[in-house]
Parts: sequence; C-alpha cells; structure tokens
Amino acid sequence: MTITSPTSTRAGAAAPARRRGSALRRRRRLIAWAFVAPLLLVNLLVITGPGTASILLSFTDWDGLNSPSFVGLANYAELFTSAAVLNALWHNVIWTAFFLVVPMAMGLVGAFLLSRLRRGQMLFRVLFFIPYVLATVISAAIWRQIMDPDGGIGDALATIGIPFLADVNFLGNPSLALGSVAFVNTWQWWGFLLVIFLAAMQAVDPSLYEAAKLDGAGPVREFWSITLPAIRPTFVFLALMTIIWSFLVFDYIYVLTQGGPAGSTDVLSTVLYREAFENRRQGYASAVAMLLTSISAITVIGYLVLRRKLKWDV
Amino acid sequence: MNRTTRILAAVGAVAATALALTACTGGGRSSSDLTYWGAFYSPDTEKAFQEIFVDGYNGAAQTPVKMEVKELTTIGKLTDTAVAAGQAPDVIYADGPSSASDFARAGRTIALDEYAQKYDWQDKLLPWAYELSKVDDKLSSVPTGYGSMVLYYNKSVFAEHGWTAPTTLSEFETVAASAAAAGLVPLGGGNAGYQGMSEWLLTAVLNAAVGPDKLYDVLTGDASFTDPEFVGAIDLVKSWIDQGWLAGGSESYFTTDDTANITGLANGTTAMYMSGTWAFNSMSQVFEDPEDWAWAPLPSLSDAVQPGVYPLAIGTALSINTESKNADAAASFIDYLVGDADRALEYTARTGENPPPLAITADQFPAEIDKRTVELYTAIPETTNVGYATWTFFPPKTDAYLISEFDKVVTGDVTSAAYLEGLQQAFQKEHDAGSTLTPFTPAGRE
Repeated sequence: MTITSPTSTRAGAAAPARRRGSALRRRRRLIAWAFVAPLLLVNLLVITGPGTASILLSFTDWDGLNSPSFVGLANYAELFTSAAVLNALWHNVIWTAFFLVVPMAMGLVGAFLLSRLRRGQMLFRVLFFIPYVLATVISAAIWRQIMDPDGGIGDALATIGIPFLADVNFLGNPSLALGSVAFVNTWQWWGFLLVIFLAAMQAVDPSLYEAAKLDGAGPVREFWSITLPAIRPTFVFLALMTIIWSFLVFDYIYVLTQGGPAGSTDVLSTVLYREAFENRRQGYASAVAMLLTSISAITVIGYLVLRRKLKWDV
Repeated sequence: MNRTTRILAAVGAVAATALALTACTGGGRSSSDLTYWGAFYSPDTEKAFQEIFVDGYNGAAQTPVKMEVKELTTIGKLTDTAVAAGQAPDVIYADGPSSASDFARAGRTIALDEYAQKYDWQDKLLPWAYELSKVDDKLSSVPTGYGSMVLYYNKSVFAEHGWTAPTTLSEFETVAASAAAAGLVPLGGGNAGYQGMSEWLLTAVLNAAVGPDKLYDVLTGDASFTDPEFVGAIDLVKSWIDQGWLAGGSESYFTTDDTANITGLANGTTAMYMSGTWAFNSMSQVFEDPEDWAWAPLPSLSDAVQPGVYPLAIGTALSINTESKNADAAASFIDYLVGDADRALEYTARTGENPPPLAITADQFPAEIDKRTVELYTAIPETTNVGYATWTFFPPKTDAYLISEFDKVVTGDVTSAAYLEGLQQAFQKEHDAGSTLTPFTPAGRE
C-alpha cells in the first residue's frame, strides 16, 4: 500500500484538472474557429485571394488573355508619371474635400434641426433617406434627364421666365461636369449621413441640454458645445469612411459621364476600369488598384493613430 | 460543447462549403448544352433570333444551343472577362474580327479551317471578310453580320427645304449651313452613354476625307496617321464642332446619344446623321412614318476621294472556345447562323439586322424585306469604292485610343496633330507586335 503525502495528493488531483482545463480551452478554441471558419473562407475566396493576385499582377504586363510577364516596377513608374492617373487622383482629392464638407455639413445641420422637431420627424427622415435606397442607375438616369440642356430643368425654368440655366450643359461642360456629378451623389448620400447623425444625437444625454439651457445657451451654442463633442465618434467614423468611399467612387461617374468629357470627371476607379476592360491592361490596372488600396490603408492608419496615440474616443 | 452549439457549428461548416463551391462555379460550359451569348437591339430582334436560329437549330440538333442574352453595349467586355477567366461559352462573341483575333493569338479559340472546309465557308463568305477573319493564315472567327456607314436624313425635311443628299464636301457644307440657318442641328453626333459612338463618326470622316487608299497604306505600315490628309480630316470635324454643326457643339456632343440623334432626325430638329446600317431598324421604329427616313452613301469630304464610299464593317464575329467540349456542335451552329443566305435574309427582313457577308444576289431577297436594305446590299457588291471601318480593321488598342482620346479633340484640349501622333504611336506598337489584321487591297491596286 502506498501512502501519499497531502502535497502529492493535491498535485495528483491538480494534474487531471489542468488536463480538463486545457481540453476545455482547446474545445472552446475549436468552437470559435468553427464559427469564424466560414467567414475566413469567404474572405480567402473574395478578398485575400484576389487581393494577393492583384499585388502580384501589378508587377506584370498581363492582358487578361496571354500569360503575364514580370515587368518589375514599370507599371508603378508609369502610374506616377501618367497624366491621366494624376488628373484622376486630383479629381479624387477634390471629390473627397467636397464630400467631407458639403454632405457632412448638410447631414449634421439637418440632423440637428430634425432632432429639435417634436412632430413630423419620422416623415422627414423617410423623405431624406429615400434617395439613398434608390438604385444608382435609376437616380442617375433621373438626374441626367433633369440636367439635360434640351428638356431639362434649364428649359423648364426658361419657360416660366427664369432663363439663367437655359444654356447650361451640366454634364457636357468640362468645367461643370465633376461638380454636377458630385451634386447628384450628394443628393443621394446626405440623407444617409443625416439619419446616422440623428441616431447619434438622440443618444446624447438630454440633461446636458437642460443644463445648457439653464446656463442660457442657444441652439448654436448647444450644437458646438454639446452635440458635436458628444457625437465625435460617429463624426470621425463617417469622415473616415467618406474619405475611403470618395477614393473608391465609381458608379455615379460611370453612369453619368463615364469619366468624360475628355477626362474631366475621371477618378482613379474609372481609369482602372478603362485600363482593365477597354485597354486590356490588367497588370497596369492592378497597379492603379494598389494605389487606391494604399490610400485607404493610410486613412485607416490615421484612424488608428487617432484612437491609440491621441487617446481619442473614436 | 452543447447540442445547439454543435448543430450551429455543423451548419456553419456546411454553409461555408456550399458557398465556396458556389463561388467556384460560373456560367461555364457543360457538355450537354451548347452555350452561346447573344445581345440584341430590341426584344423583337431577340425574339426573331430565338425563333429563326435557336429554335430552328434545336429542332434537329443533337446538342441543343442554350442562349444567354446580355446587354448589347457590354457583351464585348463581359466576353473578354469570361474568356480571361476560362468561363466563356462554347461559341464566343467578339465585336468583330479584330477582337476575335486577340482571342485566337492567345490560344483561347480554335482554328476553324477544318470546319471552313466542311461547311464551305470560304466559298460562301465574301473574300474580304473571309481573309480578314484569319490569324496567322488560319481562320479564327466567322463574321455574322456586315454593314457600312451611311448618311441618314429625313425625306420630308429635305423636301421642305429643297435639299438633296450631298455627294461632295461643298454640297454637304451648303446643306449644313442652310440647316443651321433654319435652326436645325446640321449633323447629328455625340457619345453620351456609349463612348464608342465617336468611332462611327471617325470611320465616316476618315473614309470620306482621307480615302480607302490612304487608309490601306496606313494599315499596312506604308503611311502614317500623322500625314497631312489625316490632320486635315480631324481638323474638318473640329471645324464642324466649333461651328456648332456637329451635335450642336462640343458640350452637346457629350450629352447626345444615338437615340437622341435618331429622334432628332425623325422630328425634324436634326438634318443629317452619319451612322451605321445597323440603325435601319431603329429608324423605322422611331419615325412616325417609317417611309420617311432615307439613307445615302457618304459624301466625299475631299478631292482625293470619290463620292459614295462604303466603309465595310463587321460588328460581330464568332469563334469556338478552346475549352469547348462541343466544338463540332458549335461549328454547326455557326454555320446555321451564316451558311444559309435565305435563312439569314429572313432574319434581316424581320429585324433589319445586317446579314452575314455572303454573296447575295438580288433575287434572293425576300419580298417582305425593306427596300432600303435591298438597295444597300445590292449597291455595296456593285461598287469598288469601299473602305475600312475602324472597329473592324484597326487593332484593338489603336481603336481604344481612337475613341477615348477623341474627347480631347472635341473639347479643344489637344490638337488634331497631337491626337494623331498618339494614334500613330498606338498603332505602331500593335503593328510591330504583329497584332494587325490583313485589310483587303483597294480596287485598282491588286
């Protein structure tokens, strides 16, 4: 008969317990992986795989039909000296600045005003949100008709004695085309921003407004001193997404102007599309895609810096 | 792990596997059906094609053809992508022999010489079309429709103003000036919605102002797009734009589409429109009185070119996918589309679509066919004044440049000379790489 000391008894009991704990942790990890696996698989198929392929293809002259040949950094060298790409990049910058200011301001102010409505708020929310749920092609077709110099809004106003838009060709004039497309996209987009901002504003503690009122603050003061700081996480997130989406913009531009007239509405994504599908330069188009990805990555890194280094609550 | 968790995990795994498998499959080929992608101007055209060709073929075929309908303006790009992905149908559509030649050079389509012999295509097809469809001396595609560029006008409007269809540049300018004075847009044009419309205009102008002889020299590398004749032709177009003759001016050019041009002709706000013969059907549909539209051969736009030049164009060419398990059936279907003139003309009579480039005699046209179609397809074989449509004879990248960069000529951002210099550079690269097709030799130079 073996007599075990109390210590060895405890150790003997602890070993199976550790094994049970380890097995439980393994099982939990397995369950977690089982749940994540489908998404990882989808990600692998539609993001990681094509993304990796794009990186590799950006160093080739692939035309989509023949075998790709390695060309080193030639595509990137062409990218940064191409007048078409630099022109498109500049338009992306203009587009981003426009969307960071105009629709964001409209959404903020609109949401603030709506938040103060006692009645009819839902009606306005629905009305402003409807453009967002319309298919791009449909709303673009509607606006193409409205902006048509023959029979559009210019003609309609002229018939009632307001002729100042009669000869304006919004989409045909290279000086107006980018702004006109941005206007149409804003019409569709700002209602979405408004609804998100409104939801954020409704989560702000009402006692803050009551205290401000007692201190004699007016609506403008309330907006700057309470609303805006309180919704900063939402604001920063939407600003971040606006920057990323502005560099990825394609649909309205392609449907309304296809990047024309003469490249006046070209952005990086229309250049990418043209190079890939009209000029059969998938290798070069992949380099353009890498430029777009880099811009998004820089934006996200900026976001992380705000979160971690500056301790912003975003 | 409790029971619910286990079930959820299992369902997740199955769903992921199913999704992955779904993602891996495409619209590719099966060996039971012959796959074909078609694109049509209208539902009526599609119906006629389905009845005459698809149902007709399937009535006796062992391997039935299964047609998938695509958008007309994007079928070329869709096919390019599908071919690149190895998911193209058995019978591969191309926007003409030039696009088809790229597929052949990449080994994505098979040589058709064996089938050409079996179905006698060399004798049935017009020689220029047959030769143009060769790559490295092997038949790579079969053209299924051919046409030309012509000048459309409204008979009533011309009669009202006392105009006749112009045959020379001075006559054209007289009519245009008179139309502008009467408040009409003298010449329809534009590229809204489809940038490729620019090459319709350029095909007409290059053939009518520079001429087939000079174009042949350029296409064979013996002349250059930078030669003065080409600069003069582009300058001529630019002068029309600056005067507001073409599409009403540069801004309107970018917001006017094909439908608007045809509607303008029909309602008398546009005097003339240079477009392809594929528009015959649209004209008859848009004009309130279908007898009121007329076509005339292109006027000569310089002293070097005889009036009435017909740029020859093939808009669709079919090939057989290298990966097809039904190559014999695919060839049989292609022959069903182009090999029988009576069947092809029945389709043309019903839809106004261009017939295949077959040697057609006047007595073969069915009684119900539009007489304007008969006039066209009897005039072309009788003339030697034929030219080259850009989308048919220009190599793909040169053609892409021709279209996309022309916008800058319209806006005045680049000069005609600079535009043509870029065009020559694009062409030279493809010419040096052997990507050009063999154009037919102009009459009198054999």
